[in-house]
Amino acid sequence: MARSSRFGLHFPRSFAIPRPRKFPRRGFLMPLPVALSLIDVSVYYGARAALERVSLDVRRGEIVGLLGPNGSGKSTTLAVAAGVLDPATGAVTVEGRARGVDPAAFARRVGLVPQEPALYDELTALDNLRFFGELYGLAGTELRRRAARALARVKLSDRARDRVGTFSGGLKQRLNLAAALLHDPPVLLLDEPTAALDPASRDALFADLARFRDDGHAVLLTTHHIDEAESGCDRVAVLETGKLVACGAPGELLRPRAAERAVLYGHLRARPPRYLERAIRHRLAPGAALEITGRRLRLSADTSEDLGLALALLLAEGVELEAYRTPAGALERALREPTEQTEPTPC
Amino acid sequence: MSRVQLTLALARKDWRLFWADRRAALLCFVVPVLLAATFGAIFHRPASGANPRLPVVVVVEDGGPFTRQVANEVLASQRLDAREASRAEAAAQVAERRAVAVVLPAGFERLKLWEPGSTQERPELVLLHHPNATGERQWCEGAVQELVMKCVARETFGASDRESAPPFKVAAEAVSPYPRTQFNSYSHSFCGMSIQYLLFWGMESGLLLLRERRRGAWARLRAAAVPLSCVIAGKALATGSVALLQVLVTFGVGYVAFGVTIGGSLVGFVLLACAACALAAATGLLVAALGASEARARSVSVLLILGVSMLGGLWVPAFLLPGWARDVSLALPTTWAMRGLETVTWQGGGLGAALPSAAAVAGFALALLAVAALRLRLTERAIREGRV
Repeated sequence: MARSSRFGLHFPRSFAIPRPRKFPRRGFLMPLPVALSLIDVSVYYGARAALERVSLDVRRGEIVGLLGPNGSGKSTTLAVAAGVLDPATGAVTVEGRARGVDPAAFARRVGLVPQEPALYDELTALDNLRFFGELYGLAGTELRRRAARALARVKLSDRARDRVGTFSGGLKQRLNLAAALLHDPPVLLLDEPTAALDPASRDALFADLARFRDDGHAVLLTTHHIDEAESGCDRVAVLETGKLVACGAPGELLRPRAAERAVLYGHLRARPPRYLERAIRHRLAPGAALEITGRRLRLSADTSEDLGLALALLLAEGVELEAYRTPAGALERALREPTEQTEPTPC
Repeated sequence: MSRVQLTLALARKDWRLFWADRRAALLCFVVPVLLAATFGAIFHRPASGANPRLPVVVVVEDGGPFTRQVANEVLASQRLDAREASRAEAAAQVAERRAVAVVLPAGFERLKLWEPGSTQERPELVLLHHPNATGERQWCEGAVQELVMKCVARETFGASDRESAPPFKVAAEAVSPYPRTQFNSYSHSFCGMSIQYLLFWGMESGLLLLRERRRGAWARLRAAAVPLSCVIAGKALATGSVALLQVLVTFGVGYVAFGVTIGGSLVGFVLLACAACALAAATGLLVAALGASEARARSVSVLLILGVSMLGGLWVPAFLLPGWARDVSLALPTTWAMRGLETVTWQGGGLGAALPSAAAVAGFALALLAVAALRLRLTERAIREGRV
């Protein structure tokens, strides 16, 4: 369902995702098995701590969102979980197996979807899948069958023989996902999967993820868009400067606050040039903030009046919005007011 | 999946990437052939037919009959392409390096009165030449001296043409360790350009790997726990196989269109081609291992490849290089590759003659490969440990 704004734009009322469930939910009949486990993991880039004693479990049949601002350690957490980066301390296990014991067996249980589409533009969709399938030991009829199934799962069967270079950002992201699903891993890791997507493609991606979750996959994704975490994840882990500061179901993180910030999420038609971005930021009212990631936008202010002024300024500078919405704001408040703590939060 | 299957999968991917851009792939084969044909045409001299003649301008400034006789001898010489002109015209021709000028100045006629043992001042014959034409000057001087002495002998001793001819014959003989030697300038240029473009292809392949390592696809390779040894072997296999195809196409066109033949050992040629392809693959891996950024790696690689090509005698024969350059070039793989290919093509050398060159090129390839592998391993470890 869509409604019109006073600027004449159309945008969806909500990003709510239908959740048909085939896999038993937590607490129903039996607890779901832990698929991915990060135990007291620390990572250092030189002397700087990128992650500090992070512990996190992701169970089969759930989507966990890693939430946090840029540089909070989300991508590092994902890299460690995927076995791309070795932790300085702590351990990572997938279905009880550590990477160091048998790297290939660990790799077969993890599907990684990097932020930038990890594909070869020069090859066709099918050739890409064949290559990535071969890396996981698939061959012959089995490889062909799985490639066809993966393409069908992301609704790209009709583009199988097209070069990836001709795909839109949304199609590439879907193929990126298909490449990670090819070997049918129990754990799926997605790094900012919606950064380059328009609202419709983002909804489609979350619908796909919900289906995989219901098929029994454990999904861990990173995002710094609270509305995605709120509507698309079963649990949310909040990272700040490499530390896990909060963890729980989106509803559990709701905390009533006296002062609310007015927030608006939008999708840009095109990213404005950096100089214009800086100029707009410079002219915003005190307390107002503008964040742009790819074509995603987050505008916030202390009051709704300030938010309106900020939006008017943005539009006056020629920045075009395809769609925008204001969230319920619950997680927003929790994230903006981090808890003071010394002990790491297990999740 | 075994390591061999993984290596083959990686090589197949690179092979597909190479052919994905058909035009670029085509250029990879066309450019070395075009350059080799051009270089070959520039240095080509027909095996049979007239000997090359030196362009000479004769300036006669003395009106005496003996001087005229000398001028006529020079103009009629079979070794010189001579014509008469004024001094100003001769100077202009020399300045443009189009000819060497032989000036018979006023007073040259006195040479007619010369007698053996004479202490009189000798008349002068002037040679005008471009500063960069020392070789032509020496050629002209030798030819003109012979002609003048012929005239003097005729004038002083009354000798006939036969009597004034040199009292000996010159027997010229080309000496080579290989009996079937038959020089073809196209053979030299096709050998040289093949090796140079193998190195350029290696560089391009290395830059592709450098680009890949900065793309998300590489993260997926790391996540798939693909051993680095398979990545290196796959890349080397793909680069080497395209390089081998490049050698086949270049020499195939050379054989069909320019008469470039393998006059010596075919096995030796195959061994050398394989060693040169391995060298191309190792060069690519080294570029990928040491290159900090694509632009910088490309600039440095082009400079190095052109340098080792020139010093290795890939453009012009190595004997034209100064002595120090020839000494330095012994430490370059291009020198050995060129020597080997020339041995088995136009020089007609056997397998025994080709083996030392093939072994040297293979040795260089292995050394470069070892350095590249070590560097890649260290870099990957640093990335995994968060040090990069």
